[in-house]
Amino acid sequence: MTDPVLQINHLQKKFGHFQALKDITFDVHSGEVFGFIGPNGAGKSTTIRVLLGLIRATGGTASIFGQNVWTDSVAIHQRLAYVPGDVYLWPNLTGGEIIDLLLKMNGTAHSAKTDDLIQQFGLDPTKKARTYSKGNRQKVALIAAFSQDADFYIFDEPTSGLDPLNERIFQDAVMALKQQGKAVLLSSHILSEVERMCDRIGIIREGQIIETGSLADMRHLTRTMVTVTLGDDFDVATLPGVHGVEAGHAPHEWQFSVEAEHLSTVMATLGQHHIAALQSTPPTLEDLFMHYYTGKE
Amino acid sequence: MTRYGRTGQLVRLNFRRDRFRILMWILILAALMASVAWKFEGIYGTPREINAIKDTLASPGIVAMFGAFSFKGQVTTAEIFANEMLLFMALIQVVMNLALSVHATRAEEDLGITELVRAHAVGTTAPLLAATIELVIVNGLLGILYSVGLMAANMPGATTEGNWLIGLGLATTGLLFGILGLLTAQVADHAPSATGLAYAVFGISYLARMITDVQHPRLTWWSPLGWVEKLAPYNDPRWLPVGLSLLLAFVLLQLALLANSRRDIGAGAITTRPGRAQASAMLRGPATLIWRRQRNVIIAWIVAVIIFGVAYGTVFNTIGDILKTNPTMQQVFGAAMVHEANHKVLLSFTSLLAIVMAAVAIIPGMQLILKLHTDETRGWLEALYARPLSRTHVLFSYVGIAFVTSTLAFIGGLAGIVVMGDASLTHVKDGISATEFWHGVAAQLPEIWVFLALSVLLVGCWPRLKTLSWLYLALGFISVYMGSLLKLPDWVKNVTPTGWMPRVPQHALDWTTFSWMVVLAVVLILIGWLGYRRRDLQMS
Repeated sequence: MTDPVLQINHLQKKFGHFQALKDITFDVHSGEVFGFIGPNGAGKSTTIRVLLGLIRATGGTASIFGQNVWTDSVAIHQRLAYVPGDVYLWPNLTGGEIIDLLLKMNGTAHSAKTDDLIQQFGLDPTKKARTYSKGNRQKVALIAAFSQDADFYIFDEPTSGLDPLNERIFQDAVMALKQQGKAVLLSSHILSEVERMCDRIGIIREGQIIETGSLADMRHLTRTMVTVTLGDDFDVATLPGVHGVEAGHAPHEWQFSVEAEHLSTVMATLGQHHIAALQSTPPTLEDLFMHYYTGKE
Repeated sequence: MTRYGRTGQLVRLNFRRDRFRILMWILILAALMASVAWKFEGIYGTPREINAIKDTLASPGIVAMFGAFSFKGQVTTAEIFANEMLLFMALIQVVMNLALSVHATRAEEDLGITELVRAHAVGTTAPLLAATIELVIVNGLLGILYSVGLMAANMPGATTEGNWLIGLGLATTGLLFGILGLLTAQVADHAPSATGLAYAVFGISYLARMITDVQHPRLTWWSPLGWVEKLAPYNDPRWLPVGLSLLLAFVLLQLALLANSRRDIGAGAITTRPGRAQASAMLRGPATLIWRRQRNVIIAWIVAVIIFGVAYGTVFNTIGDILKTNPTMQQVFGAAMVHEANHKVLLSFTSLLAIVMAAVAIIPGMQLILKLHTDETRGWLEALYARPLSRTHVLFSYVGIAFVTSTLAFIGGLAGIVVMGDASLTHVKDGISATEFWHGVAAQLPEIWVFLALSVLLVGCWPRLKTLSWLYLALGFISVYMGSLLKLPDWVKNVTPTGWMPRVPQHALDWTTFSWMVVLAVVLILIGWLGYRRRDLQMS
């Protein structure tokens, strides 16, 4: 296995007395989309700013392409593309000028691909940045990032201002990057997007990574929703590891959730009571998110 | 809900938002006025002192800077005070008003705050009216403080009417230009454009009063900025200028209200046009980016400084001809001596203006350096630093352009004075020679660089303290503009770099001072650079 593109080890950042990052550890590999999720103020953007060398870590290490994010930031940025969450553009330049400038500063130029992206996203490049809406400012940053031939892409809540059509274009473009073996760090609030695109996920809370792994891994940590219709009067509430039991609309129909470790025992027992219909839903990322942040289902 | 609904709430909100800047302006301006008045009897108390300064104030060079005033009979301390202070205080007050008015209207609109406010049950014209009331209160309060300060100082020759005339005259002049700012804020579609437009009108008013003052003081009535000169508070009190200012302010306010009621939020009569779909080949890095963003401002500054230089140069033939005021001199001393004397007068005039010009030339450069931090807090640098750009590269792009801008502005301004001035003379030999010109340039450049280097230091190491660069420059400016007339002690003049170099070309250029000032500038920049490389960037 090749070395990870991004390696973060026990990263810490203090602003005065406020410990913004307490302990951040995760890796991102080539050909992987890593989802970085957490509520507002958990430290996502602070982590990304440390990775960009905009602010200096007060503890731990972080490296991209094996190089130190603070001292070697210029060399790293040669092969990195970044789209911030709030895109601020120079108000008296046009979108087209900004895209070209950003590309030139990476040693690349406006290409057919750029034109293609401008058309796909439906951006008017002759307008001054001052007149763009939030979504259009994001498009400018996204077009510049996707036109670039980088090895590592960082997106910080890139779709918060985009309409569903443009969101889809974004997702397709990210999947294309993954196909090409690029590494992607995607910080997002839109959990369905993360669920669809990300191979692995890191969950951050109050400056700490509290869980990393694939969605499948994480599902083991929580409960599966089950709706079952049985052939007899068995009371499912007597089963081990079962929660939130509710009677359904039909007779003998039950809804409940099962802890992952008890799932096979529960299924075996139910099997003895003539299952007429069975539906099971794996926990969504949203369920997981709620689980980690509120401690409730 | 009326068009003016909840204006009162917005006024309170405005004062809450601007409390520090208003407090600072009021304190500094009122203290400046009161302390000068307080000291004034000590400076110009005796008839001998008064007669000496009276002649100086009548010379065209001083008239160009302080305005034309007429004296009758026995001149009092208070009259000299009014002559020296009125125009100067008016200038500062206009700057304050333009800053406050655009900040309270168009800048808020640019940030989207006006939209948020207007979405509530707030009258359509309420934000504009609230800004107007804010300006009326600030200027009124300041005017009252001036008058009270003058009463307390109780200068010989001061009258109650004159004291109030000064206070209210300055207040109405300030208000007039504040309302002008409100109008340009309705006409332009973003804050910098509104500010630029207002300053253009201000600059034209200043030039108009300067040229008319030197040549035909009666025509100065045509410049709104000239009205303060016509107050004549202590010899021939006139309330007409106060009335004129209020009348014009009222007319401009009506225009602003009209423009405001007819436009969409976020829009203006002068609209932002679409631009290029692709970047020009030139736009390719941080330095060219700053040029692309700021070229209009940079060019406008350089051109404005040159125009001011040329305007000052036009008075050379009046100042540099002693025979006009003293026709018998040639018979007594001979032609050679007269030419020598003319040359001396021009040297001294040019030396004084060179220092003023340098202070003005520093402003655009300082703005550019401080912009490095403004851009940082606005998130604009985030996009740059995600590229392979080092801190050093970005810092020196801003600093480099800033130094070039200020240096060119200064050389251009001084060249404007000297070239125009020499051209206006009947005897070119009386004028400033090329060598004297370049010595004048060399004498002021280190001062300009030290001021800019101080800003680099602040932005690099302590960006929160960046406002100090403006205060320090203001102190330097006041100490040279007013220093000799107020007879400030030497240590005050030496607090800022403006006082470190002897006046050149009147005196010889001191290369030792030149060298250590340049070294100091380099050291300040280096420390700022080290700090900037090490510190966290501040993001929104």
